[in-house]
Amino acid sequence: MTREEVFEHVKGILVETLSVDEDKVTMDARFQEDLETDSLDLVELVMTMEEKFGIKITDEEAAQIKTVGDAVDFVMTRVDA
Amino acid sequence: MSPSKRRPYTSPHAVTASWTALTDDRVVRIVVDAAGGDNAPDEIVRGALEASGPQSHVIFVGDEPRVRALLPADAQNVSVVHASEVIGYDEEPATAARAKTGSSIVVGLKLVHAGEADAFVSAGNTGAVVAASVLYVRRTPGVKRPAICTIMPAMPAPVAFLDVGANAEVRAEFLRQFAIMGQAFAREVMGIAEPSIGLLSIGEEPSKGTPDVIEAHQLIAADERIAHFYGNIEGRDIMNRLVDVIVTDGFTGNVGLKTIEGSAKAILGALRATIMLNPLTKFGGLLLQKDLQTLKDALNPEEFGGALLVGMNAPVVIAHGNSRARGIAQAVRMGRRGAVSDLLPTIARELGTSGTAV
Repeated sequence: MTREEVFEHVKGILVETLSVDEDKVTMDARFQEDLETDSLDLVELVMTMEEKFGIKITDEEAAQIKTVGDAVDFVMTRVDA
Repeated sequence: MSPSKRRPYTSPHAVTASWTALTDDRVVRIVVDAAGGDNAPDEIVRGALEASGPQSHVIFVGDEPRVRALLPADAQNVSVVHASEVIGYDEEPATAARAKTGSSIVVGLKLVHAGEADAFVSAGNTGAVVAASVLYVRRTPGVKRPAICTIMPAMPAPVAFLDVGANAEVRAEFLRQFAIMGQAFAREVMGIAEPSIGLLSIGEEPSKGTPDVIEAHQLIAADERIAHFYGNIEGRDIMNRLVDVIVTDGFTGNVGLKTIEGSAKAILGALRATIMLNPLTKFGGLLLQKDLQTLKDALNPEEFGGALLVGMNAPVVIAHGNSRARGIAQAVRMGRRGAVSDLLPTIARELGTSGTAV
């Protein structure tokens, strides 16, 4: 999967599952400040990503994910591995 | 009965009769969290058994040996699924909901998600039930935040009140969605054909309130999906039933709900003490006994069952943590009502992705 493809997947989760405005989803967008997601949204995002990409994300790893780009990069390291 | 002879309140039995009535033969499978609540599992099992029947199968989730010990040998329409863990009241909801996959709340909600059950009832940690519902049952597409919608005692008849605790902080758009979901709840669950909606604020003028409430007022007033928007209402209007549906954020709603519950209890206690003052007042109390009991029932939140978490893909009922058997029985009936009514399809239609674009 390319970085762009992973981005599209993450964007899809944010828009469909968390009802985030599509226009706001960029690589630099910060979850809490720019996308106005709360802690439960982030857990939901993490669990949906686990399901969608077949990966495991620990609580410690999830805590490091602050922007959409962080989420994409994290998935890239796992799906390539 | 002439208007002057009419009671100032409706008997709760008359109110709940409409939504507890079996209107069809559909079999509904209701998961009951046997581990959640101050009186688990004894009162939970007793109450759920009372509400179970050929059309309402109850699936208990909890410590299987303990639950089985409480069931009569010939128990019908009941099954038990074991869950080894419990999410306590002091645990952080989202973290616990993700980590404790063997808890009664998560096991139960997963049964609903897998299509093995149709509704979920719990008197456990409210935050954990909300978080686990979002994670395992999922919200209805288009719903930004689910809300806890309760039926609250009011005069002369109860009102729908949301959000009473799912979202401490809200944005104006969430309040607009709560108004739409509350309207659907009043219509489909309470049977009010043309419900009026009020936005809880600190003054009737649209300019009163926090910035989010002021913006929400404008959004709701302009929204064609909301048929009868009364406007802002104040705290004192809640129990007078100025409107059928009261919309607010989860922090204010929870404080409001508990203030009213506590006030009602205190007033009933003072009334009782007044009646017990001397032989004459006791005699007066005796004459009023039956009617006072009905008034007491009308003010008892347990009579209206649990609150429904609206905006989810399946009915999730949140009962009071201190529910006794009566409250659980009514909560199970609420679960059934949530599953057989048109509440979920209505919310899905009105808040579906196409409906949220403004």
